[in-house]
Amino acid sequence: MNAKRNYKNKEDDIFILALESSCDETAASVNKNGLEVLANVVSSQVELHQKFGGVVPEIASRKHLELLLPVIDEALEKAGLEFRDLDAVAATYGPGLVGGLLVGLTAAKAIALSLEIPLIAVNHIAGHIYANFIDNPQIKKPLICLTISGGHTDLLYFEDLKGYEILGRTRDDAAGEAFDKIARYMGLGYPGGPAIEKAAVEGDPQAIDFPRAVMADNSFDFSFSGLKTAVMNYINNQKQKGKEIDQADLAASFQEAVVDSLSSKLLEAVKKYDIKSVVLSGGVAANKRLREVVEAELKEVEIEFYYPSLELCTDNAAMIGAVAYYQYLDRDFASLAISADPSLKL
Amino acid sequence: MLILGIDTSTDYLALSLLEDNLVKAEYNLSLKRQHSEKLLPLMEELFQTFAIKAQDLDAIAVSIGPGSFTGLRIAITTAKMLGRIFDIPVKGISTLEIMAAGQRADYILTMLDARRARVYYSFYSRKKADFKTDLEKKLNLKELYQASSIKIEQLAELLSAYKGEEILLLGDKTDKAAEILKRENFNVITADPENNYPRSAVLARLGRDYINLGQEDDIYQLKPAYLKKPQAELNWQQKYGG
Repeated sequence: MNAKRNYKNKEDDIFILALESSCDETAASVNKNGLEVLANVVSSQVELHQKFGGVVPEIASRKHLELLLPVIDEALEKAGLEFRDLDAVAATYGPGLVGGLLVGLTAAKAIALSLEIPLIAVNHIAGHIYANFIDNPQIKKPLICLTISGGHTDLLYFEDLKGYEILGRTRDDAAGEAFDKIARYMGLGYPGGPAIEKAAVEGDPQAIDFPRAVMADNSFDFSFSGLKTAVMNYINNQKQKGKEIDQADLAASFQEAVVDSLSSKLLEAVKKYDIKSVVLSGGVAANKRLREVVEAELKEVEIEFYYPSLELCTDNAAMIGAVAYYQYLDRDFASLAISADPSLKL
Repeated sequence: MLILGIDTSTDYLALSLLEDNLVKAEYNLSLKRQHSEKLLPLMEELFQTFAIKAQDLDAIAVSIGPGSFTGLRIAITTAKMLGRIFDIPVKGISTLEIMAAGQRADYILTMLDARRARVYYSFYSRKKADFKTDLEKKLNLKELYQASSIKIEQLAELLSAYKGEEILLLGDKTDKAAEILKRENFNVITADPENNYPRSAVLARLGRDYINLGQEDDIYQLKPAYLKKPQAELNWQQKYGG
């Protein structure tokens, strides 16, 4: 566009439509001034992928193409806005599954070109962190954020979008991936996080002593492949011996091992860095046992602790819209030539 | 009537602007896998060149494949959004039909690579005597076989009823197909390279003709002609049936 655009400033009301299609949720939101969510519509495809025990990228991409327009319509309707009322359009451009990312990103580009408004490309992981600010705008920084989902296990020191440091990440499976794989192995279905949590309710978390990965270099990295193998070996051994497996005990013991690995690294980081709060983000942040353990330990060291409400823990567009608002104020706009980046880092 | 044609179904990034009977612009760029980065900037450049805005468009024609699944979704997503925002008609057109509609021959076999020695194909007549419906008469084109995929070796069997006719082969793997069909004494001809891909001006013109005949698509239902289920679905069916 040749005409110099008049961008809005912090004093003005800024309305942003955001799209999220990086995995198996097709989502659109309208945010006012960043953290005020006027509409947050998520159409989940979980049932479609259930029989495969995980997300099938091509099936997800096909569904995103079908669902995106109705989801956008619903978001605008709930917000009581028309396309012409929008000040910017945002989309997740990574990390995630490329086919799905391209549907949301292309739609956002077409909207930006059509309405002559800025395009904002948002990092999905930043979105998960900002999901916390939607529920609790008062969160004090700097903070430590543990992002845990089917695709990520990241421990971050965070001041703002330009000032952060990755302290540790997984060296193999993401935490949510470990839940999915073990749930599938135990025949509990998909997604694994809620399935294991449900099965663990009546179980004894100390029943089976599974290993917790220890990093030789004392880093804040995580590893779940050893635990995964130990659980599979346990199941096979019991089967070979003809012993019955107590699903509840097994689920509870596995969950405890994951929670232990996550919370112990988090606590080490809390002790090492001078921070004001700790936040969780990502789908696995919905795990009640993890919240319980972290909450209790942080109370002792008097650090504030936050986690998003369930609908903001899992993938959604409102969190993308929240990040987009701060990018808008920084005039951090994307060109129409931007590509999706499936392995985008924060 | 100002029509934008968008095609990302093949290696070609194809974009055209048709105003009534005048082709104002036609891009056919053989780029491979850059459609996501290049399509919207190219549209912006096109609009700037002609000093128009997206809102000046009256209709959109978009190719629905068959073709690369990921590629197809780029143009179709774009078409859906433009159609929704400006409330203008959108028509999805088969890539195989775009190729056939750009050439003059009585019988035309159009093919696109479906990998593993297979092609997506469709077979068309441009003989007046074959046209029955108003649409066929208007388009000068009749689809004789519904688009599908086939092993390239089976083409002779497929076309056995047309052995005496001259058949124009268009698209991918035409040399291989010609070799197979000539061996079975078919009368086949192939096209020069400039006539051997889906041209975006033809797409826009087809879109105009369909839309003028009231044949626009519902943008909420519009999707690619995948012609193939996702591999995971096929594997699952093989294992569990259904």
